[in-house]
Amino acid sequence: MIYQLSHTTRYEYSAPVALCHNEARMLPRELPWQRCEPSRVQVVPAPAVQSERTDFFGNRVMYFAIQDIHQSLEVTVRTRLQTFARPVLPEAWKDDWQTCRDTLAGAAERSCLHARLFRLDSPFIRSDTRLADYARPSFVTGRPLLEAVQDLNRRIFEEFTYDPSFTTLATPLMHVLEERRGVCQDFAHLAIGCLRSMGLAARYVSGYLETLPPPGQPKLIGADASHAWLAVFLPGWGWLELDPTNGSLPGEQHIVVAWGRDYGDVPPLTGVMSGGGEHSLDVAVDVMPVTEAA
Amino acid sequence: MAAPLRHGDDAVANLLAGYVPAGEFDVLFSAQGQLREHWRGVLAELAALGEQGLAERADELQRLLYENGVTFNVHDDTRGRLRTWRVDPLPLAISSTEWQELELGLIQRSRLLDALLTDLYGPRRLIDEGYLPPELVFGHPGFQLACDQSLAAQGPGLVFHGIDLVRDSQGQWRVFADRLQAPSGAGYALENRIILARAMPTLYREAPLRRLASFLGTEHLALSAMAPVQREQANIVLLTPGPDSDSYFEHAYLANYLNLSLVESLDLVVRDGRVWMRTLGGLKPVDVILRRMEDAWCDPLELRSDSVIGVPGLVQAARSGNVAMANPLGVGVLEHPGLAPYLPTLCQRLLGEPLRLPSPESWWCGDPVSLAQVLAQFEQLTLRTTDPGTLPVTVSDLNPRQAEALRESLLARPERYVAQRPIVSATVPVYDDEAHRFVSHPFNLRMFVTREAPTRDSDEWGFQAMPGGLAWVGGPGLPSRRSEVVKDVWVLAETPQPHISQLRQATGPIVVTRDGVDLPSRVADNLFWLGRYGERLDVRSRLLREGLLRLLEQEQDEYADSSLVDLFEALEIEMPEVAPGERRFLALRSALLTLFNDETIGSLPGCFQQMLRNCRAVRDHLGDDSWRVINHLRRHTAALPKVPSASAGRRACEENITQLAAFFGLCNETMPHHYGWRFMDIGRFIERALGTLELLRRVLTDAHEPGIPLWEVVLATTDNFTAYRRRYRSELHPTAILDLLLFDEGNPRSVGYMLKRLGRQIERLPQPDGTPYRSREQRLILQATSTLQLADIALLSDVHASQRAREALSALFADLLEPLEQLSDAISHTHFSHAETPRQLLRMQVQP
Repeated sequence: MIYQLSHTTRYEYSAPVALCHNEARMLPRELPWQRCEPSRVQVVPAPAVQSERTDFFGNRVMYFAIQDIHQSLEVTVRTRLQTFARPVLPEAWKDDWQTCRDTLAGAAERSCLHARLFRLDSPFIRSDTRLADYARPSFVTGRPLLEAVQDLNRRIFEEFTYDPSFTTLATPLMHVLEERRGVCQDFAHLAIGCLRSMGLAARYVSGYLETLPPPGQPKLIGADASHAWLAVFLPGWGWLELDPTNGSLPGEQHIVVAWGRDYGDVPPLTGVMSGGGEHSLDVAVDVMPVTEAA
Repeated sequence: MAAPLRHGDDAVANLLAGYVPAGEFDVLFSAQGQLREHWRGVLAELAALGEQGLAERADELQRLLYENGVTFNVHDDTRGRLRTWRVDPLPLAISSTEWQELELGLIQRSRLLDALLTDLYGPRRLIDEGYLPPELVFGHPGFQLACDQSLAAQGPGLVFHGIDLVRDSQGQWRVFADRLQAPSGAGYALENRIILARAMPTLYREAPLRRLASFLGTEHLALSAMAPVQREQANIVLLTPGPDSDSYFEHAYLANYLNLSLVESLDLVVRDGRVWMRTLGGLKPVDVILRRMEDAWCDPLELRSDSVIGVPGLVQAARSGNVAMANPLGVGVLEHPGLAPYLPTLCQRLLGEPLRLPSPESWWCGDPVSLAQVLAQFEQLTLRTTDPGTLPVTVSDLNPRQAEALRESLLARPERYVAQRPIVSATVPVYDDEAHRFVSHPFNLRMFVTREAPTRDSDEWGFQAMPGGLAWVGGPGLPSRRSEVVKDVWVLAETPQPHISQLRQATGPIVVTRDGVDLPSRVADNLFWLGRYGERLDVRSRLLREGLLRLLEQEQDEYADSSLVDLFEALEIEMPEVAPGERRFLALRSALLTLFNDETIGSLPGCFQQMLRNCRAVRDHLGDDSWRVINHLRRHTAALPKVPSASAGRRACEENITQLAAFFGLCNETMPHHYGWRFMDIGRFIERALGTLELLRRVLTDAHEPGIPLWEVVLATTDNFTAYRRRYRSELHPTAILDLLLFDEGNPRSVGYMLKRLGRQIERLPQPDGTPYRSREQRLILQATSTLQLADIALLSDVHASQRAREALSALFADLLEPLEQLSDAISHTHFSHAETPRQLLRMQVQP
């Protein structure tokens, strides 16, 4: 699929801001199944300093600083990109989840060593027996890992209510678990917490989802906003993405921007400013499919 | 065990009479009871002082330590809690042979940790090759993801390294901890050395001991060489969390010693991708930051977002190579106690040599094999978590229920625990200043290593160990802060060392403009308020003294002094309701005495705290003598009960008045008369002018009970009775008072003098370039001065009798007070930085 992506974040401040330093993680990652054309970035007012780097996780980070007094900030990133189907697991991949867990813990193989960071607690996600208790019905002894994680993914989708009114930026995970409701970010955190509590490695993925429904198919939840899902590490194969908000495996309509241990590693826009008073925020995301003929 | 000495040295034997080593290994005596040779000289010098002499020197040491106040602890300010740390007159002597070994070990450890740091924030081969478990590194809060791949840009790597050591019962040195983010102690070591040299000059001069000055010289050279841009004079700053930090006084001391600017985060700003210091003369580029702040707090943009003491954008500036960091951001991961068991192998892998200084036998419980070993001998070990700053718990000290709880927490999150085999410490003689003899105690030691800049002969950055350090008495791993006795550490040389009498001499180039427009605006701000609060304390002490005096003189109700109503108003306290049958003067007295309770608004201790707070923030700009006075006042204020007796209260007021005069007098004598001093002076005289005008207004135009008693109060509080008598030799008359205290430009207590002084000081403040116009503060002081000069003195005579004169005077006071009240704001607006605490665009709360 080819997409034209546009993401605008606009802040209005009640008092002037004299100086701000910001980091944006809005430039999509280049991946084997995702080819990005150079993004067009527009920051208003114009930053005095702007630079791009790659963070610990390989995400593209744009740093900028605005040094003139301003009372609003608008960041727009437009990217044209093409997505392809994700790699498919070989039919024969049937390792049971406990073997996978033990392999991950013990293997000296480099990809396993690197994945082990994602088994650890992170600022927003701590392993917990209650999370393990929730996960356990999916993880019966000897069950193939692939089946177990897909079952967990399905259960979260079926047993939790998508409710944008329920959560704030970072709803405590236990609250989500008790209330059985949340948004995509909460469900991703929840699934990651469950997987880590079972001794597996899981990471948070932030991105976008094309929400215009193809004819004859149901409309997917998460319209016109950033989306979040997760990926679980399958030792010997790699990272498998899961979207518990939609109970699906991400495909060509899932555009990856960045990944990390949890939301805290990949917010689209952060910043520190002096002044500013109260502020209001507007976000507009458009994921426009581009027809080949155009 | 007795202490047999070879050669029958009687004096030394006498000195050590009754000294019995408490442990297996004593630094003084061998297992055979022989005095170790390198102690002989030091002990002989001490013995020569005699018992009395030694006791006197021990007291002198304590007094010097107190007055110098480097170890002054901010938390001591609370009433009655004073620091108990003392310096032992007997230093810890280390022989040159011992030192050679130790030095190699210390330097090797710095090289090792430097190489480890480079790998952890670079290729991380040690993880890929299986030398370090990923959980050990990534699970530690000290590993900063934001600092990944930034080490090379930040500078040469480790620049300063504190190493905590314990000597075990076999005499083997063992490393207990590494201090890298904010390694305190070097300043204390320096202070101990200086005061020991002062208290016991012969001992110090005769000993062939290695001096500390060259080590600090090396550090200064390394810091200068780190500057990303080589200019004539690198701008190096010492970044402190501020006066609330435990080690703030050491920061101030070191900044002075190394000739660096002491800055807090609000003094710094990142613009154009680099770091600048806000000074009176505008923004000045910063080249090198010697950091005494933990990694996590340094930048609210990329590190802890809830930090209010960080500099937003600092990580980005460091990553871009625009400012050099000492130590580099991210270094906290090396303080991980779980690294210890891996170091022998890492040393072989990284340096190709065996580790010289072992740690106590340790296990990181995140490794399953280690965990099993720990559980098998659980009761014999000590455990601590990997969180920074947690103290080890000895399992055998716990009751069964506690031990079981610990075991459960360990099993639930083994990766958060590190176990250690307890160490039996060597012992050292410590002077007991009550029993006047030496007693054997365990001790800890902190040593330091600094970076050595490349020289003409070598392109490599080397390391140098400080031939000295800080020793403190206490069991293995006891934090130095909790110890009661510290010792200077003497590394003995084979031959006498050149004596450098002024330690300050050898430390780096002199910065000529230290106190000019380079002065951080925040410092000017603090000095200004130091002046204001100091003067306010003086004014209030004088008024309160008058009130108490009047009540003391009467002690009976018949002579209710008519001035008291107005005095109470001037002091802003309410006249108490007197119940029937209650004695009025007692009620009045208790009301006055509430001003000694720091919970009362406007109390004297409250005023002093404000003054002290500002003093502390400019510690590096005050002379040692001024500081001694502040310390004296602090002790006095703390010692005073919340409700003192009236006569004790009066004496306290007088103590305040005298000490404040001493303080400001010393400041005038010792501070360079540059901008910093000017701001303090302006603060003082704005406060004094406002105080005098308010008082005159209250007494001459607004009094409830006008008349002689009140006029006496005015002359007494301004200490102008004598001047008045000499000049007027007459009955009190308001016109004469006005002449003396309002118009006379030659009397330091008159408003005329104060305005003139303010005008002169304001004229000399830094002004924005190129403007032909007067600044706002210049206009305000001009307005006040001309109002006073143009006043119709004839119209004001006979204030006591004439309503018209009173109205004219009242208008004059109002016209003088208005511009002076605005002056403070105008100065603040023009000269002080108004850096706001940075705010987050996005507030993310981490779940509890």
